[in-house]
Amino acid sequence: MNKSEILKEVNEIFVDVLEADGLVLTESTAAGDVENWDSLSHIQLVVSIEKHFKIRFTSKEIQGWKNIGELVDSIESKLTTA
Amino acid sequence: MKQYVNDIYQKIDVLNPLHGKKLKKNIGTFDDKYYEASDAFFEKYFDFLKKENKTLDYAVDCYLNMISDVSIETVEFVRTGKYTSSTFEEVNKRVYAKPETMEYYMHGLIMSQFLWKHHYEMYDYFVNELPAYKDRIKSYLEVGAGHGLTLSKALEILNPGTLFSVVDISETSIALAKNFVNDNRVSYNLRNVFEFKNEEKYDFITMGEVLEHVEDPLMLLKKLNEMLNDDGHVFFTTPTNAPAIDHISLFNNVDEIRDLVKAAGFEVVSERSLLSEDVSPQRAEKFKIAILYGAFLKKAGK
Repeated sequence: MNKSEILKEVNEIFVDVLEADGLVLTESTAAGDVENWDSLSHIQLVVSIEKHFKIRFTSKEIQGWKNIGELVDSIESKLTTA
Repeated sequence: MKQYVNDIYQKIDVLNPLHGKKLKKNIGTFDDKYYEASDAFFEKYFDFLKKENKTLDYAVDCYLNMISDVSIETVEFVRTGKYTSSTFEEVNKRVYAKPETMEYYMHGLIMSQFLWKHHYEMYDYFVNELPAYKDRIKSYLEVGAGHGLTLSKALEILNPGTLFSVVDISETSIALAKNFVNDNRVSYNLRNVFEFKNEEKYDFITMGEVLEHVEDPLMLLKKLNEMLNDDGHVFFTTPTNAPAIDHISLFNNVDEIRDLVKAAGFEVVSERSLLSEDVSPQRAEKFKIAILYGAFLKKAGK
């Protein structure tokens, strides 16, 4: 799965969890750009992404992403090594 | 009003924007009464930090360390539906017996008292209701005084001749409460509450957010019942679905807590259930959002 495919699926998860129809994510999107993305919804997003891609993030990763691009990189590296 | 809390929100927002964003939602809901109470608290807390040669930045770091722990625990809770520890021995090793962890944890918790809406609302409930019991209280016990904030309010509210006692298992916690409260009317007992023996019974017992820290919450509530005078009262709080590094007993909903209260021989005089997040009840149930439950109790049938 390439980055743009991952981004597309991550986008769908964000729309579902944040109940934000029409939300369009790019690699540079950060929490400040998305209204309902806060520390509570972040946890729900993390666990939903884990389930969807069948991966497990580390504690450091969960707290380290600055934007969607970094999140997609994390997912991609886990899918590659799986 | 100084509104110190707004400066604290700003600092948090810079260091942890995701969490800052969540806290900002609280600001809009607070009224003047909140700002007066939080200003009074933070003035006292800043003095306390100064005496310990610590700064507000230190306290904010402690708070964010605690938040980081809570986030990690919450992710694990959502993954498994369980708390990560289940025995007292585990959390004792992990938290209570580790002064460096206890230190940031206690500062984090004390900050949360006014940064988290549900913590403030529960504190406000206690402060508003306690005066009604004032003339019936000659002896007051707090089990697990933590940072000492509730105790300091009880000292302000109750009659000056009241006998105040604390029993707490953590040395760090007792040292912190002693310094924060700074009142020589209090007798502190560094002990496990199950081993705490006192010939006299108490007119009032407060136990804030302790039940979730023990392996057998029913036994602890029964112990409170034993230590209470027949016409005495208890104020206690405990959360549902609240993962933390030292929580071992999980309550899935408020009814489970009410059942324990009844099984321990108590009756609820009044109660509050406060959602920890600003979400709809449906979303709260779906995502197992913590509810902080608090109640004033009396012995059943008394």
